[in-house]
Amino acid sequence: MKKWMLPAGVEEALPPVSWQLEDLRRKLLDQYRKQRYELVHPPLIEHLDALLTGTAQDSEQQVFKLTDPDSGRLLGLRSDMTPQAARIAARHYRDRDIVRLCYLGTVLRSRTGSLGEPRSPRQVGCEIFGEAGIAADLEVLRLMLKTLKLAGLKKVHLDLGHVGIYRAVIAKLGLSVEDEAALFEIVQRKSHPDLAEFVSVRKLKPRVAKAISQLLDLNGGVDVLARARDAFPNASGEIDAALTALEKIVGELRTEMPKLPIHLDLAELRGYRYHTGMVFAAFVSGHGREIARGGRYDGVGAEFGAARPATGFSADLNELLRLGA
Amino acid sequence: MTALTLALSKGRILEESLPMLARIGLDPAGDIDRLLRVPSRTPGVSLLIIRPTDVPTYVEYGAADLGIVGKDVLMEHGSTGLYEPLDLDIAKCRLSVAAQKDAPKRDPRRRLRVATKYPEITRRHFADKGEQVEIIKLYGSMELAPLVGLADVIVDLVATGGTLRANGLIETEVICQVSSRLVVNKASLKTKHAEIAALLDQIRRAGQTLKAA
Repeated sequence: MKKWMLPAGVEEALPPVSWQLEDLRRKLLDQYRKQRYELVHPPLIEHLDALLTGTAQDSEQQVFKLTDPDSGRLLGLRSDMTPQAARIAARHYRDRDIVRLCYLGTVLRSRTGSLGEPRSPRQVGCEIFGEAGIAADLEVLRLMLKTLKLAGLKKVHLDLGHVGIYRAVIAKLGLSVEDEAALFEIVQRKSHPDLAEFVSVRKLKPRVAKAISQLLDLNGGVDVLARARDAFPNASGEIDAALTALEKIVGELRTEMPKLPIHLDLAELRGYRYHTGMVFAAFVSGHGREIARGGRYDGVGAEFGAARPATGFSADLNELLRLGA
Repeated sequence: MTALTLALSKGRILEESLPMLARIGLDPAGDIDRLLRVPSRTPGVSLLIIRPTDVPTYVEYGAADLGIVGKDVLMEHGSTGLYEPLDLDIAKCRLSVAAQKDAPKRDPRRRLRVATKYPEITRRHFADKGEQVEIIKLYGSMELAPLVGLADVIVDLVATGGTLRANGLIETEVICQVSSRLVVNKASLKTKHAEIAALLDQIRRAGQTLKAA
C-alpha cells in the first residue's frame, strides 16, 4: 500500500473545490440563520449508546467504534448528526416549545448503504423539534428545496411517501422480527415475485397480501393519491390520516411551486424504523441515488428525557457541490 | 421521449430475452456480437450487452435505467438498492447443492468445503441450516472441484442436470428456483416514471402473450 493513498471512500478537498465548498457552506448557513435556525456543532465522537438512538437505530454497523481508554466505555464516531441534534434539542432546549437546529460537518461511515456512496460525507441538515403539524413538514421541505437551489441544482424531482400506510397495513399481522425484516426488504425492492412467494410461504391473508401488492404499485405522479383512495376505500385511522396529510402537502406544494415535478411512492420506506410520518427525498436526473432526504420522526429524544415531534432533512455538501452548477 | 438505457445479460438470458424484446420493438438494431452498446428499434432506447454479474452494478449506479438479470445474480449482489418489479419467467433453472455420487465419507472433524461462484448465497444457505462451512470461491467448472478433492460439495446453477451427471455428481438439495428479473434504478423510476411505467406494462403484457402462445 502506498502511504499517500486515502482509505476507500474517504475524500479531501483542495482549491478550487475547497473554496467552492466554503462558499456554499456560508450561503447555506446564512439562509438557515435568516430563517432562525440555531447552528449546533455536535462532537465528532460520543458514547456509542447515545449515537445509536432515534434516526440512527439501524446504523450500528455503519459506526466506527473504539474504546475510551479513560472510562472503558465504547465510543463511536458520528455517522449521522440527526441523533446528536435530537440529543441537544432534548437536553439544552427542553424548556423551549419549538426548536429549530441546523448543523454542518463531516460524518464517517464504516460502510455505506448503496454502491458509490462516500464514507465521509459532509452532512448538512435542518431539524424542527416540537411541531407536530404539516406546517413544519412543509417548512423543512421548502428549506430542502431552497438548499438545492442555492447549490445550483436544476430540475430537482421531489419524491414523497408516508410510512404510516405500510405500518397500518402490516400492523395486525403479528409478524416475527425476522419475517418483518424479510417483508420490509421485499417492499424496498418492489418485488412482486418475492412478495407472492412470501405470501404463500407465510400464509398471509389474501386481503393483506392484496393491500401490500397494491402499495408496491402506488407510485407515480400526483394521481397516486386518488388511486390510493380507490385502493383503500374505507380507509380509517392511520391510513386516512396519512393520505390526508399527503393530499394537503401536495396541494400546498403545487400552488407554491407549480413547476416542481412531484413523484409519490407509498411503498418507499426510507428510514422506516424511526420515521413516523411523511418521508421525502430529492432526485436529479442522471444521478442514480437521492441527493437529499428527510421526514418526520416523532417521539425522538425520549432516551434523553424529552420526547417530542420532529421533522427535518439532510444532504451531503460535497455531493451538492458536485452536482450543482 | 426521455432516453432510456436497458442493460442485458450476455449469454443464455440475452437469447431468451430477444423474443420478448422483439415483441415490443426493443430488439437490437445492431451487431450484438461485437458492439457493447447498440440502439434498439425504438428510438431513444439503447441496449447495453454486458456480463450478467455486472448488470446490478450498472443499474444501481444509474448507468442503465433498467436491466434484465438472473435472480441468482441479484441474490448474490444482495442489496435493496434496486427495484425488482417483474419476474420475466425466462432462463429458468435452479440453484442447487451437488455432491459426488459415491463420495468417500467425510472426516466429521473438518468443516464441509463448498466450491461455488456464489459465496454469499452459499454462506446464507448453510447459515440458515445452522452449519458453518468453508467456502472456496471459483469462477467456473465447479463440477471439477469435488472430483479432485478440492471441495466436498458444490453450489451451482442447474438447468438440466446434464453436466452434473456427466461428471458423476448428483443434486442433493435445491436452494431456490431461478429465473430472470427486470430490475429498475430507484432514481430512474422517480425521475422518468411515465416512460418506465409504460415500458413495464408492455413487457408484462408481452410476457403473458408469449407464455400463452
